[in-house]
Amino acid sequence: MNKDEIENLITLSSDLRWKIGDDFHDSLAEGIYADASEISNASVSKDNEKKKFRLDAKIDRIVTSKTWGFPIMFLVLALILWITIIGANYPSAMLADVLLDIVHPFLKGLAAGIGMPWWLDGFLIDGVYLAVAWVIAVMLPPMAIFFPLFTLLEDFGYLPRVAFNMDYLFKKSGAHGKQALTMSMGFGCNAAGVVATRIIDSPRERLIAIITNNFSLCNGRWPTQILIATIFIGAVVPSSLSTVASMSAVIGIAILGIFFMFLTSWALTKTVLKGEVSTFNLELPPYRPPRVLKTIYTSLIDRTLIVLWRAIVFAAPAGAVIWLISNIYIGNESIAAWTIDSLDSFGFLLGLNGVILLAYIVAIPANEIVIPTILMLTVLVTGVTGGEGAGVMFELDSVNATGDLLRSGGWTLLTAVNLMLFSLLHNPCSTTIYTIYKETNSLKWTTVATLLPVIMGFVVTFLVAQIWRLF
Amino acid sequence: MNYNPTYALLIFFGLVLISYLLFRPKSGWFWVIKNNLKSNEKIVIEDVLKQLYHTENAGKDMNLHQLSNSLKFDERTIVDVIKKMTIIELLTFDGENLKLTDSGRDYALRIVRVHRLWEKYLAEKTGFDKMEWHDRAEDMEHKLSHEETDLLATHLGNPQYDPHGDPIPTKLGKVADLEGEFLSSLKVGSVGRIVHIEDEPDVIYKQILAEKIHIGSQIRVIENNKERVVFYAEGQEFVLAPIVAANITITLLEKEESLEENMARLSSLKDNEEASIIGISKESRGDSRRRLLDLGFVRGAKISIDLESPFGNPIAYLIKGTSIALRHDQASKILIKKGIENGK
Repeated sequence: MNKDEIENLITLSSDLRWKIGDDFHDSLAEGIYADASEISNASVSKDNEKKKFRLDAKIDRIVTSKTWGFPIMFLVLALILWITIIGANYPSAMLADVLLDIVHPFLKGLAAGIGMPWWLDGFLIDGVYLAVAWVIAVMLPPMAIFFPLFTLLEDFGYLPRVAFNMDYLFKKSGAHGKQALTMSMGFGCNAAGVVATRIIDSPRERLIAIITNNFSLCNGRWPTQILIATIFIGAVVPSSLSTVASMSAVIGIAILGIFFMFLTSWALTKTVLKGEVSTFNLELPPYRPPRVLKTIYTSLIDRTLIVLWRAIVFAAPAGAVIWLISNIYIGNESIAAWTIDSLDSFGFLLGLNGVILLAYIVAIPANEIVIPTILMLTVLVTGVTGGEGAGVMFELDSVNATGDLLRSGGWTLLTAVNLMLFSLLHNPCSTTIYTIYKETNSLKWTTVATLLPVIMGFVVTFLVAQIWRLF
Repeated sequence: MNYNPTYALLIFFGLVLISYLLFRPKSGWFWVIKNNLKSNEKIVIEDVLKQLYHTENAGKDMNLHQLSNSLKFDERTIVDVIKKMTIIELLTFDGENLKLTDSGRDYALRIVRVHRLWEKYLAEKTGFDKMEWHDRAEDMEHKLSHEETDLLATHLGNPQYDPHGDPIPTKLGKVADLEGEFLSSLKVGSVGRIVHIEDEPDVIYKQILAEKIHIGSQIRVIENNKERVVFYAEGQEFVLAPIVAANITITLLEKEESLEENMARLSSLKDNEEASIIGISKESRGDSRRRLLDLGFVRGAKISIDLESPFGNPIAYLIKGTSIALRHDQASKILIKKGIENGK
C-alpha cells in the first residue's frame, strides 16, 4: 500500500468513527453480554443455588439492618483491636526479654571479648541492633494477630457489608465506603492500610484513602498513647477512676483521628483532588466459609512479613543515627544536645519540648521507638541518673518510674496532652511514606501525605498550648 | 520562657487571614493578580471572535457597543483590538454592525472546537464538577495549540458533541447539526428528546442542574404557558419557568418512536418490584459509565433490589446473579422499564 492509500484509510476511519457517534461503546457491551448470556444459557445448568442464596440473604438482612448493622460492626472492630492489644502484650514481653535483656547484653559481652572498639560496638549493637530488636519486639506480635483476624473477616465476606453500611457517611466527605476498611486496617498498621486501598478502584477516592490513612492510630502508637495517658491523665483524677480516665483519653484520641480523617477527606475533595476521576460501585459477594490456614499463611507472608521487613530496613539506619547524634560531640555538647537546644523554643510554642521534636525526627522510621528515644534523650539532657548511656534506648519497667523521669524532664499535663495529639497528627513513618510512594507512584501525593498531617499537628498543638496557657 | 499566648494567637490568626485572602478559590488576590497578568491581546481577540460567531449563528447582529457590553474587558482595549482585527482581516464593518470574515470565522471555529473538546475531556476523563467545566474550558481555549487540539480530539475518539449537546467542529471545520426547538416553544402533548442544555448564564444553568434534568431524556410536555412549563420525563414531572425552559433544546420524536412511556429511573424502583434496564443516561460518563456497562447494566438485563443500607443509600441491586451496590445519584442515571411484579 502506498502512503496515499494509508492516509485515505485513516481519514475514512476517523470519518466513520465520527459518524457512528458516542453510543457504540454501549452497543458493544450490550452485544458482548447478549452473546455471553446465550452461551451460558446453553451450557450452564443451575441447581441448589437458590437455597444457598437464601441463607446469604438472611445474614445480609441482619448485618445491614438499621438496628443491628452498626452495633455489630463496632463490636467486631472493638473485639479485634482488643484481642490485638491485649494478646500482643505477652509475646511482645517475651520477645523484648529475649532480644533486649538476653541477646543485647550477650552481644555486648561478645564485643568486649573480641576487643571491639567502643564506638564500633556502640554504633552496631547499641544503635543498629537495638533499634531493629525494638521494632521487631513491639511490631511483630500485634501485626501477627491483627492481620490474620482481619483477613479472616475479609475472606468470609463481611467487610464489603461494612463498606456498604458506612458508605453514606464517607460519601458526605467525598470518600468511598471501602475507606472504612482501609481505615480499620490502618489501626493495625498504616503501611498495610495504604496497601489495602487497592480495593478502592476509583482514583480520587483511593488517593483520599491513602492520604488520610495516617489518621488511624496504628499499632506503633497505641502503646505510646496508653503509657502517656496512664502516667499523666490517670494522675489528675481519683485513683479509682484513673484507668477509666486514661482509657477514655486514648479512645478519645482515636475518635479525634477519625474526625480528622473525615475533615481532611472533605477538604481534599473540595480542593486538590477535585479533578481526579471518581466512580463508585461495590460488589457484595456471597459469603463463604473462611479458609483459616490459607488465610493465616497468606496474611503472615503478604502483610506481616513484608511490612516488618520494610520497618527493619528503615529502623536499622535510624538506630545508627540515634546512637551517633548522642555520641558525636561538637564543642563540648553532643549533636543531640545542640539540636534539642535549638528546637526547645519552637517545641515550647507547641506545648512540647526539644526532646520530643528531636525524637520524632530521628524516629521517623518507626513510631515504636519514640518513647525509648525520648527517655534516652531526656536522661542525656537533664543528667538525671538512670538509663543505659548515651545513644542507648531503653524503657523502664515501672510506669511510675517512667513518669518521674519525664517529669524531671519538665513534662506537665499540657506536654502529655500535646504529645498524645502530636502522636496522632504527625508525618507517617518512613515505611508508610515509602509504601505511599510505591502505591501512588507520585512524588506530589507522597509529599502531600507526608507534610499535611505534620502541619495539622503543629497547628493543633500550637492552638491547644496557647489556649491552655490563657486559662 | 516569657511570652504572651494572646499575641501568639493573634499573630497566628493574622497569618491565617492573610493566606486566606491571598489563596481563597477564585477571588484570592494571588489568583486575581495572576489572571490580570495573562489577559493579553490574544485572549481579547479570541473572545471577540467567539462572541461574534455565536451571535451570527443565532442570526443576530452586533455592534461595537453591544460587543463591549457582552465582554468583560474595558472598552478601550476592545476598540484597540477591533482596529487591529479589521487590519488583519478577521472582521469587517457592515454599517455599524461587526461581521466575521471567512478567516475570522475559521479562527472562531477553532476556538469553539478547543472549548467544546476540553469540556468533553473534563466530562470524560476527569472528576471536575459540571459547574466548573465551562470556566475551565474558557481558560483552556486560549492555551492549546493546533497539534495539541488534534491530539486531544484523537484521544477522545473524535467526539461529535460536547457534554452539553453542542456540536464540536471537526479539524476541517465541519459541524454536526443541532436540530430542535426550545422547550419553551413546544406545544402541549409534544414528545421529544433533550439534545442540548445551555450552560450560560450561570444562574439558569444552576437551576437546570438542581432539577436533575438529564441530557438525552425523553420528555412529554404536559403544560406550557407564560408562568410555567411542565413536562414528564423518566417517570417524574418537572416544572420550569419559561425562561429556564428556553435554555433546553428538544428534538421532536415521531409518536411511534416514543414507546418508552413507562420509562423510569432506577432510583425509583421499590423493594419488591422487578424491572428491566433500558439503558444508561447520557449524564453518566467516562469511567463511571464504562464500569456500569462492564458490570452488566445493559439493555434488557433484569434488575431488582437486593438490600438497602441502613441510611437508605447506597442500595444493592441484584443484576445478573450478582449483588452490586450503587449510590442514589448513579441509580438515577440508569433507566428502567418497570412492569413485572415480583410478589415475594
